[in-house]
Amino acid sequence: MGKNCQDYIEGLNDYIDGELDAELCSEIEKHLGKCRNCRIMVDSLKQTVTLCREGKCEELPESLQNKLTSAMKERWKKKFPDKA
Amino acid sequence: MDERVLVKKAQAGDFEAFVSLVDKYKKRIFALARKGTGNEQDAEDIVQDTILKAIDNIDKFRGDSAFGSWLYAIALNQARRHYGKQKQTELKPIEEYVPGGKTVSHDDLNLFDWRDPHKVLESEELKGVIDRALAELPIKYREAFLLRYHEELSVKEVAQIIGESVAATKSRILRARLALRDSLSSTFEVEYGKKLSGLH
Repeated sequence: MGKNCQDYIEGLNDYIDGELDAELCSEIEKHLGKCRNCRIMVDSLKQTVTLCREGKCEELPESLQNKLTSAMKERWKKKFPDKA
Repeated sequence: MDERVLVKKAQAGDFEAFVSLVDKYKKRIFALARKGTGNEQDAEDIVQDTILKAIDNIDKFRGDSAFGSWLYAIALNQARRHYGKQKQTELKPIEEYVPGGKTVSHDDLNLFDWRDPHKVLESEELKGVIDRALAELPIKYREAFLLRYHEELSVKEVAQIIGESVAATKSRILRARLALRDSLSSTFEVEYGKKLSGLH
């Protein structure tokens, strides 16, 4: 990373998430073209999110599902006694 | 059925409407709570407490935000109770994660290239590494990061849920991402080292 790396760090998240305006985007890309450390930074920041999303779709445990349904019914009766 | 219609029906006492409303969120809140707490039992408690709290307060939901955002905000409050008195550490300033920052000279440091972490760690080991790195993040950073990237909410929605400005939320998310990157980078570097030494 050269002396300008500090100037880009605030915009990196928006850049990676595709939310940076075109002008800043091309400025960052120009910098990335000549800065290995910033390329590594961008790649690893991207991977950080990808890795955290892996295995995301977890099922609700069946025991919780059953417990939840009866707890909800109970609480609903208390909240709306005339609708029970 | 439109979410606003379901809310109106639920507020009038229609249980089935409420069930439809929370149905798509309960799995997501469970997954989020599990990532956030690193504990399945705590995650189960958070889901149940969140939904029961939503029943108690359904008449107070005015529709200023999406129903999901309202539910996430309740879930965050429930989760914070579960975190208890966890020590609230602070992260270092943004510039200190960057070579050439206050404490790191860019002449002295080449960032470690992650390449593909799946090649050095089995998927379960990798999951454990990620979960531990997440757990090390101070709560306010962890929840902003997870809402943004695990739940894939916009920065504006995250800001609304955590009750901060968009600018403060952006900064919190960036610092969380940099801190996670930093922590994972150290682990991956060690694992690559072990793998390399195993080859020789």
